[in-house]
Amino acid sequence: MNEIIAGFIRALDLMASLDPELIDITLRTLMISLSSTIMAALVAVPAAAAIDSREFRGKRFIMNIIQTLYSIPTVLVGLFVFLLISRSGPLGSFNLLFTPAGMILGQSILILPLVTGFSLTALRGVKPELRDLARSLGATEYQVMMKVIAEARYAVMAAIILGFGRAISEVGVAIMLGGNIRGFTRVITTAISLETSKGNLELSIALGIILLLISLMVNTALNHFQEK
Amino acid sequence: MNAWVILMNVIELSGIGKSYGDLKVLEDVNLKVREGETLGIIGPTGAGKSTLLRIMDLLERPDAGEILFHGENVDNLKPLEVRRRMGMVFQNTPVFRGTVTGSILYGPGVRGERPNESEVKEVLELVGLEGYEYRKTHELSGGERQRLALAQVLINRPEVVLLDEATSSLDPISRSRMEEVISGLDVTVIFTTHDLLQGQKLADRIAILNHSILQTGSPREIFTKPASRFVAEFVGARNILSGRASITGDGISIINCDGINIYSSEKARGDVSATIRPEDITVSWQRTDSSALNQLRGRVVAVRDSGSLQQLEVRCGGETLTVHMTRKSLHDMGITTGSSVWIEFKASAVHIIR
Repeated sequence: MNEIIAGFIRALDLMASLDPELIDITLRTLMISLSSTIMAALVAVPAAAAIDSREFRGKRFIMNIIQTLYSIPTVLVGLFVFLLISRSGPLGSFNLLFTPAGMILGQSILILPLVTGFSLTALRGVKPELRDLARSLGATEYQVMMKVIAEARYAVMAAIILGFGRAISEVGVAIMLGGNIRGFTRVITTAISLETSKGNLELSIALGIILLLISLMVNTALNHFQEK
Repeated sequence: MNAWVILMNVIELSGIGKSYGDLKVLEDVNLKVREGETLGIIGPTGAGKSTLLRIMDLLERPDAGEILFHGENVDNLKPLEVRRRMGMVFQNTPVFRGTVTGSILYGPGVRGERPNESEVKEVLELVGLEGYEYRKTHELSGGERQRLALAQVLINRPEVVLLDEATSSLDPISRSRMEEVISGLDVTVIFTTHDLLQGQKLADRIAILNHSILQTGSPREIFTKPASRFVAEFVGARNILSGRASITGDGISIINCDGINIYSSEKARGDVSATIRPEDITVSWQRTDSSALNQLRGRVVAVRDSGSLQQLEVRCGGETLTVHMTRKSLHDMGITTGSSVWIEFKASAVHIIR
């Protein structure tokens, strides 16, 4: 028990003194997860709009698949992207394995279904009358689609934030594709996992607190957008 | 303007049909909309009014028939181009998020245009929303939304304005304000309503719709000469009698109704209906020596007080006729329920409907 309390005290000390390694890991984590969220959103939101704006056979099926993939195990995505970017894989020549870029790719793929699915729900929440209004006012089909996204912007934002929350808190993809290389691909979750097994509780606890704080901020933002 | 332009139909519908599953909403709709006129499409709820407007705005494709826009089949035109020359105000007036100005600039925006501030101001003034530029659209009342919807349309300078029940959910003050704006528009206006009085007030011409167009004409024509029993009932015509008509040697028609014969100066044969306006019927104690061909004996079965006019129900044979009398003459004559009276009306007051 004393050990844990001592760990907490030292952790707060690390945070208060802006420990360089702590700052380094935190900033890298934010950079990687934000990048993967932006990448996923750039694909997911237009994809959701495309699915939403037309009726076609198999639409229900696609939506079922997307929803199933919400809870795909992170290690499975890690394995899949590992096979893609490992030296002998189809993207092997880009040397992405054990780099931040590889992690960003993996996390993007991981959260893509989540962001797509929730964006789709967000767009479906826009009243059909508004599409007719836009169309009637002379909008092209593309302009109608953009208007629908604009009308659902808060709910779409919430979907993106949800994706960020999953990206920053996952460990499977980060460790399999990043390799937890100190000063290069080490992020909060992989650092906690390693430092805890090494018995270095103070850094783990400090990183844990930071992760919780980030989660708190993300959720506050999420609530803010969901209330709009 | 050349004469042929004036005669031109802006929109011409022929044989339009539309079903949703098994539900037939429109069937063989034929309608010509003249340039510059205000046309009221009137019909009961569920008659297909909204669907018809949506078809005209090319938001919905009909299952059958064709649409001509300025004489050209819209199948040969780009829907977007046609739609950009029209504007529609929707029944439940959806509004975009944001400010009033933002909403008004949407139409010009998608056309790649950017009207200046004074144009926005002008159109807001036109609909009576001056000073609303930066109001949030979601804070507007129902009436204000309707007017915003109209402003959104008018900024694009459409040739045709389509209004779907544009005043149905408004309080009387907002309604008359909106009606003022509508009657001030100098473009072709097509509006739907289930409110006859409004139709009569605003329209140059009325089309009665109940899945198909039952009658078109001036408001006066529709009210005084309904073309069918449905129209007659819908416009609230009283004294609709049905019977078998034949033409007499004098060239007038005689209709055998339930227990009575009615003369009409309009020619008709076979099964018909006829209407007589309650104000065209006079009441007396005795049979009089008058030019009226129709003189019938009957019994007053009810007297209703509707303000200065009294409404009598007079039973003649198997038919009951409604007659209007002033309170004074009713009082002077001493007519009460149960009185046995004579009623008379001219043959020319009997309008035959099919």
